[in-house]
Amino acid sequence: MKHKKNIPLYLGKKILIFLASVFVLSLAVFYISRLAPGDPLVSYYGDRVEKMSPEERDWAEAKLGLNDPISVQYVRWLDNAAHGDFGISYKYKMNVVDVITSRLENTLILGGIGFILIFTFSMLLGILCAWYEDRLLDRIICKVGTISSCIPEFWLSLVLILIFSIALRLLPSSGAYSIGKQNDIGDRIVHLILPMCIIVINHLWYYAYMIRNKIAEEVRADYVLLAKSKGLKKRSVMFRHCLRNIIPSYLSIMAISVPHILGGTYIVETVFSYPGIGTLSYESARYKDYNLLMLLCLMSGILVILCNIIAQIINEQIDPRIKNAETTEVSEVMEA
Amino acid sequence: MNDNVLLDVKNLTHVFPLSKKIAVKAVDDLSFRIYKGEIFGLVGESGSGKSTAARCVMNIYKPTAGEIIYKGINTCDLSEFRANKKMLQTTRQLILQDSNSSLNQRMKVSDIIAEPMKINGIRPARGTMRAEAEFQLHYVGMDHSFLDKYPSQLSGGQRQRVAIARALSMEPELLVADEPIASLDVSIQAQIVNLFRHLQKEHGFSFLFIAHDLAMVEFLCDRVGVMYHGKLVESAPTKELFANPIHPYTKALLSAIPIPDPRRERSRKIKQFVADETNFSGKLTEISPNHYVLMGE
Amino acid sequence: MSQLLEVNNLSVSFFTPEGEVQAVRDVSFSLKAGEVLAIVGESGCGKSVMCKSIMKLLPAAAKIKSGSIRVNGIDITEYKERDMTKLRGKLFSMVFQDPMTSLNPTMTIGEQIGEAVRIHYPKLSKEEVKNRVLELMTLVGIDHPKERMKLYPYNFSGGMRQRSVMAIALAADPSILFADEPTTALDVTIQAQILDLLRRVQTELGTATVFVTHDLGVVARVADRVAVMYAGKIVEIGTAEEIFYDPRHPYTWGLMQSLPSLSKGKETLPTIPGMPPSLLDPPKGDAFACRNSYALEIDYEEEPPMFKVSDTHYAATWLLDPRAPKVTPPIGGGIRE
Repeated sequence: MKHKKNIPLYLGKKILIFLASVFVLSLAVFYISRLAPGDPLVSYYGDRVEKMSPEERDWAEAKLGLNDPISVQYVRWLDNAAHGDFGISYKYKMNVVDVITSRLENTLILGGIGFILIFTFSMLLGILCAWYEDRLLDRIICKVGTISSCIPEFWLSLVLILIFSIALRLLPSSGAYSIGKQNDIGDRIVHLILPMCIIVINHLWYYAYMIRNKIAEEVRADYVLLAKSKGLKKRSVMFRHCLRNIIPSYLSIMAISVPHILGGTYIVETVFSYPGIGTLSYESARYKDYNLLMLLCLMSGILVILCNIIAQIINEQIDPRIKNAETTEVSEVMEA
Repeated sequence: MNDNVLLDVKNLTHVFPLSKKIAVKAVDDLSFRIYKGEIFGLVGESGSGKSTAARCVMNIYKPTAGEIIYKGINTCDLSEFRANKKMLQTTRQLILQDSNSSLNQRMKVSDIIAEPMKINGIRPARGTMRAEAEFQLHYVGMDHSFLDKYPSQLSGGQRQRVAIARALSMEPELLVADEPIASLDVSIQAQIVNLFRHLQKEHGFSFLFIAHDLAMVEFLCDRVGVMYHGKLVESAPTKELFANPIHPYTKALLSAIPIPDPRRERSRKIKQFVADETNFSGKLTEISPNHYVLMGE
Repeated sequence: MSQLLEVNNLSVSFFTPEGEVQAVRDVSFSLKAGEVLAIVGESGCGKSVMCKSIMKLLPAAAKIKSGSIRVNGIDITEYKERDMTKLRGKLFSMVFQDPMTSLNPTMTIGEQIGEAVRIHYPKLSKEEVKNRVLELMTLVGIDHPKERMKLYPYNFSGGMRQRSVMAIALAADPSILFADEPTTALDVTIQAQILDLLRRVQTELGTATVFVTHDLGVVARVADRVAVMYAGKIVEIGTAEEIFYDPRHPYTWGLMQSLPSLSKGKETLPTIPGMPPSLLDPPKGDAFACRNSYALEIDYEEEPPMFKVSDTHYAATWLLDPRAPKVTPPIGGGIRE
């Protein structure tokens, strides 16, 4: 009852924390990117910059608003951003929002499907290992899993490209689709296979091992003994009791892992020249494409913060012990 | 004030806030005294606030209200506490229930015993710290072969002895023991209780013994206080309390002690206790010398 | 009465990296229908391992090395997990020490009791299961069962949780109930209530109960027969009256004497010196010899067999051998009427 009354306050608090975090993040990214070495004019004018006279340079910088103090630039950016204008990309000479939306879809396909695959396979693998805990199957999977998660992504990518693209010529080594086949789903899938494998192989074991250990820990709890002693089968104990109890914490960890897995796609995208947000971020940082970099960093940051807040909410809401803290008092009074 | 009073707890209240709206009164207007050289037992069920009271006495928790006067010093007062910090820290010692977690797993027994001396910069009376540790260890009935062991290599009873040796190395005037025997086996419990008795006779320290095992309290303590839901409901010299309990809760508690005699135990009925507000209001009234009962006006 | 449970020469060991821990060594006892057998001993004496090994609830590192377990005359020693699942709950069931951890924290009490009912009576309708749950909750003395069945374990106090665990254990009306220190984690006043509940259930339903505890005082209230265990063995077994009024084993003497209620007004409590031996490498001869002030020379050489005191009373001590010197027990002294 008290619980419901608090919901607006609760949401308000969360939103406030969110806005404050985003503000601090934007400030930090803005300053750091401008203080880092490099010449933003290169990305706008390309090679022409080298031939520019100092006057021309001054004029170009003034045109892009780069000769003001950083704080003035920041306030201007903030003002524009508040009105929905995030500026243009120096390199693409387009609104940054348009640049990003054109690439976003590719990353969502790669990251989203990858995330779902990791989520399901790690659950299955974790349960399998916990079921056969410390038996041969479990030991083999544990060894293989640990090795697989230790291999660096870029190295594994290169090895797989060498094998499947160069030696066997089975799969394409780069891009999201062959030229002119943008809407051919089969072609897209073929292009996805290698990068997807890398992402899944790299993250899968981390989560599967976590599930395995959480279940193994749960199996040792006293209530499992009671459940067994009342005649429950091992399968029912595992699924109805143990799995049910670890799912809240698993969900919250998966929520936190979204940015982690996304970070992985960035590297894979770069290696496979996959036209997604990852390659775009890499380019924008390299060429000092300030406006693009700003929005990309903000997007990633917002995603991280959102996922953390979601994880926190899952933790607080799913566990009945926390949700019903007030009823405890009621029943204790009832007993006394 | 009576010179014989070592510790005087006056109207102690401690509230744990659970959230902004709900708070639990763990200790509620608790008053008791411990005289020099006596063993005072505090009994009650889990959640009755006895451990919280002990922690307040040891300055681990800051009481919400009330005063704790130790040797004339109000230990709840920050400036008084600071001025006498060293004396307070050396002459009051605490022993906890689970010495498995209260002893540092990575320290050897000799270092555990010598640690309070090192912290307080006391020069060991017997030359080296190690010799002092060995002496204290002998005192609690363990030989020098244990000096270089780690707590995990000891049994529960031995760990509790080490905890006692550490506390005694400071020659305390007040020893507070929070359920020191609860996690030990019956035969080991008897060993530790005998040790407490023996040491208390030798050193003459005052002893606040917190327990839920009434039979042990009856054996060990000079005076007993019974706590229920943060309140002291009855306190009296041990013999008087066990012979003539007044408060309904004390009666129920005493009747629940199992008697190791099948025929007597089976034929007797255990008094049921129904918590009733009227039992826990009012104030402590002295009904016979030193026998106080919580009664309504 | 027939023998419901017969355990013969049971030995259980844990195989650990440090070596073999002989938790239960050559234990034999029997249990009649409807009686309460208390197993008393210090922690680590193997009392709890023994119960769990009968129900086969031990971790994989534990193995039954030898001996047999017979229930209703059927040997279940070699039964595998699948066969045991069918027996658990119906034939025997267990109540554990810590009611705080033995319930699943994320399921309501009603669901957990209902689950136990449904395992054994899968054909019951939802309504019938619910009625059975309410019936069980009433049986174990939980007031307002309708409201309480919707609550979670953390809403309950320790005593209430232990009652719920009892309800789960009794769901399929088992013939044998193992109660592993069911009152140790509870307060004194609650302990008395749970003991009386156990006793009542036992008389009402006729459930044979194996009551494991370290507290002799508790035993006096509930047990018909008592077995005293030390270092993995039963050292003395007899009716409650025989054990309390006429104990024969020095370890039983020691346990009784160290009870503070028998030493009122005395200066010191009688204690058993030393500590129980390590079961990783049990000593030669009688494991209790080095703590025993009555130990004879032979105690250090050879393990004493079970000597018969009466038809129901046996004790494993050389003091009962006709050749042994006469010793006046420090406690007991015959069954008084």
